[in-house]
Amino acid sequence: MADETVLRLDGVRKLFGATAAVDDASLEITRGEIFTLLGPSGCGKTTTLRLVAGLERPDGGEITLRGRVVASVAPRVFVPPHKRNLGMVFQSYAIWPHMTVRENVAYPLELRGERRATIAPKVKRVLDLVGLAGLEERPATLLSGGQMQRLALCRALVYEPDLLLLDEPFSNLDAKLREQMRVELKVLQRRLGVTVLFVTHDQIEALSLSDRLGVMHRGRIEQVGPPRHLYEHPGSPFVRDFLGQTVVLRGTVDTPEPDMITVKMAGGLTGRILAGRAAAATTLASGAEVQVAIRPEDIVVGAGDGASPGRYSLPGLIEALLFVGDRYEVRVALGGEHRILLLLPRTREWREGQRVELSFPPDLVSVWPA
Amino acid sequence: MASVSPAIAREAPRRIDAETVLCTAVLGVVAFSVVFPVALVVLQSFQVAPPGQPAAYGLDGWRAAFAEPGLRAALVNTLTVTFARQLLSLPLAIFIAWLLARTDLPGGRWLEFAFWAAFFLPPLTVTLSWILLLDPEYGLINTALAWLPGVGKGPFNIYSFWGIVWVHVITGSLTVKVILLTPAFRNMNAAFEEASKVAGASTLRTALRITVPIMAPVILSVLLLGTMVSLQTFEVEQVLGIPFRFFVFSTTIYDLLVTRVPRYDAATALAVIVLAAMLPIVFVQQWMTRGRRYTTVTGQFRNTPHALGAWRTPALLFMLVVVAVVLGIPVVFAGLGTFMKLFGFFHVKEPWTLQNWATVLTDDLFLSSLRNTVVLAVGTAVAAVMVHSLIAYIAVRTRYAGRRALDFISWLPFTVPGVILGLALLWLFLGVAILRPLYGTMALLVIAGLISGMPLGVQIIKSALMQLGGELEEASRIAGASWWATYRRIVLRLMAPTLVAVGMITFVGAARNIGNIALLATSANRPLSILQLDFIAQKKFEEAVVVACIIMVISLVGALVARLLGVRAL
Repeated sequence: MADETVLRLDGVRKLFGATAAVDDASLEITRGEIFTLLGPSGCGKTTTLRLVAGLERPDGGEITLRGRVVASVAPRVFVPPHKRNLGMVFQSYAIWPHMTVRENVAYPLELRGERRATIAPKVKRVLDLVGLAGLEERPATLLSGGQMQRLALCRALVYEPDLLLLDEPFSNLDAKLREQMRVELKVLQRRLGVTVLFVTHDQIEALSLSDRLGVMHRGRIEQVGPPRHLYEHPGSPFVRDFLGQTVVLRGTVDTPEPDMITVKMAGGLTGRILAGRAAAATTLASGAEVQVAIRPEDIVVGAGDGASPGRYSLPGLIEALLFVGDRYEVRVALGGEHRILLLLPRTREWREGQRVELSFPPDLVSVWPA
Repeated sequence: MASVSPAIAREAPRRIDAETVLCTAVLGVVAFSVVFPVALVVLQSFQVAPPGQPAAYGLDGWRAAFAEPGLRAALVNTLTVTFARQLLSLPLAIFIAWLLARTDLPGGRWLEFAFWAAFFLPPLTVTLSWILLLDPEYGLINTALAWLPGVGKGPFNIYSFWGIVWVHVITGSLTVKVILLTPAFRNMNAAFEEASKVAGASTLRTALRITVPIMAPVILSVLLLGTMVSLQTFEVEQVLGIPFRFFVFSTTIYDLLVTRVPRYDAATALAVIVLAAMLPIVFVQQWMTRGRRYTTVTGQFRNTPHALGAWRTPALLFMLVVVAVVLGIPVVFAGLGTFMKLFGFFHVKEPWTLQNWATVLTDDLFLSSLRNTVVLAVGTAVAAVMVHSLIAYIAVRTRYAGRRALDFISWLPFTVPGVILGLALLWLFLGVAILRPLYGTMALLVIAGLISGMPLGVQIIKSALMQLGGELEEASRIAGASWWATYRRIVLRLMAPTLVAVGMITFVGAARNIGNIALLATSANRPLSILQLDFIAQKKFEEAVVVACIIMVISLVGALVARLLGVRAL
């Protein structure tokens, strides 16, 4: 049972007018994992979630929940939301304002025909779980933002749904509370073992919470994998640039060895050479225009006395130096035309106007077709 | 673990089809009760056979209609009254809305509420009050002016073109514009005006050059709405116009039908002409408000009021005079009128008496009418809450293909003048055999009230539903509730105050409704609103004003309750 598939999407499409909000989306979520759909607003991630929930009907493809087809175009199947046994936390929490905390949580149990006697202990247990015990009789409108979110979570978990859907649940919280709820949610999920489909545009949330994540772009799921894999081995320029920061420089291929491509830099950096591995599924010929990409934190910054430039390095000039407490934020000019933002440790002294030497470790550099 | 069999899953689409069937049924019933009767009127205008004979169609009715000199006069009078009403009320309403919304005029909220209350005054009650003041012979203002040297006889006559226009301006035209324009003015970003002032413009220049032009689309939209509303009236002309043989289209239709030999051909032809004239207004109004209808300006901006400075006191005095004219005088004089021995005669010896109340309250006719009004108003309100909320829900929340059509049709009665709707329903209930037994029953009047209250009721519920947000319902669906359980346990509970408010407004509308039901009421189902009209026709003004006063109290209490329940604008 360890690898049981809870949710499967096969080529799901959803059209709004002529545009495809979700285009040929396929994915599988296995029992007990947190799967995140990450993407900018309008990429179709929320629509995908609503398709799973049954709040939208697909225009193509098939959605299967625990082996049962819940939505399909041919043959025509559509299971309405209330028969899917899902839990969902909405962006606005959607706490019913005319009910108390207890009534909000008891509602789904009542609809499942449970007796009063069994409802009460279940409500108590789930409220205990998130620290809302003692607030049972409080009107839902008198809760704080964080409490509302916990209540929404309780209401979605109390009937042990097959899959918990989270639609940007942290976006209405302030930064501090958001961090706290993130940790709480992960701990809670690990304790209960509930399967989670999580939708967010915040890459930090996505990277920190997910077991696996899928990056969506223009209705398509561009890449699926564990967070670290996606961060280190992005499959497309979009995934690369959307997840974290990237420094991108231009050049032409010098030697196209499969595991180590060397690139001649152009413009003000002419004469310098960088090396890296080819990005996923690309073959590059000698002389081809390419992009050289690296995470800024992977660049090694050394004092640029000009004495002995490293083999794969570029000269830079500190244009602006911002001390932000735990580190420096530094803008460095490269060969007059590129400007990149780096984070430097405060263990060394830096000053504006200082020359520096930037080393690009070849195993952390990727080379992309321009 | 997957315990649900595919067979159950396969059943699902049929449930959605049931939803579609329900929506289509609602659309069908609403279309049948709104569009079909009007279509019947159009058809009837080409019907030339006498009643009881097999139908035959031709243009005789239209020829007769055009040959009738009264018809042309009625159309001209309708146009000139409408035009004069809008011309007088629009600039005044813009000025008042600007004062209420954009300046530091003291007591703005109370003044706005006064206009809201004035909007709910029954026109007939207001008319009777102003007769006391402006009757050419004994009107208080006229007799007071007659004391002045050089003024032989009081100069005012309410039984005149300008008398009718005056009563219209202070009953409907002005108040409806003020309560529609004030929120719109208030939602305008003050930065536009501040930029103008910084550029060197005075308050007045800013108002004329910046505020009014920016608000021009809203103002035009309100003007079109006001024009449609002004075509609704019937009772003011019926009371003030008949004495000097002044007819507008609605009183003409009534006159043509309530005689010994009803002239259905001419009446229906006239109705068709008026409906055709409404069409361009309807389309322009719809086109202008499309896509913008509910997007009130929100977001982050400040609304700093203009300082009126030295003009503050004159402006306040001006507003108090206006409120006295539209609200104070009608309420006070309608009350006073009920205690007069001889309606309007203040100078007779011992003019006051309680006899009118005693007479009316013990009159069997009054008691049966009161009973009818209670049944009518309660029945209409209950039916309206159910029907209008269903229509609003389908229009806002479902993906039903015909929801826009339903929305539009529910708004159409607004554009059909009351007397014409009454005529259409009369035709429907006399013409369709299975509906004929309903003629003369309260059910017919309830249906008329339901249809005429539909535009406003549906709009109010729609805007409340839109503020509610769909996630509260979606959360319920996902928690395991069916569509019906969600509607019952979430939507209805949350909408309760709005629904009660709509019920109150419909209750008031049904209690004071005249134009819609004047042609439908019989002696068996006559409510108070028609009774007062009958009293006036019999020159029993003392009894009429008592009934008018009762209807006014019902209206004001209903308006107040609706306001307290949170209905702020129309």
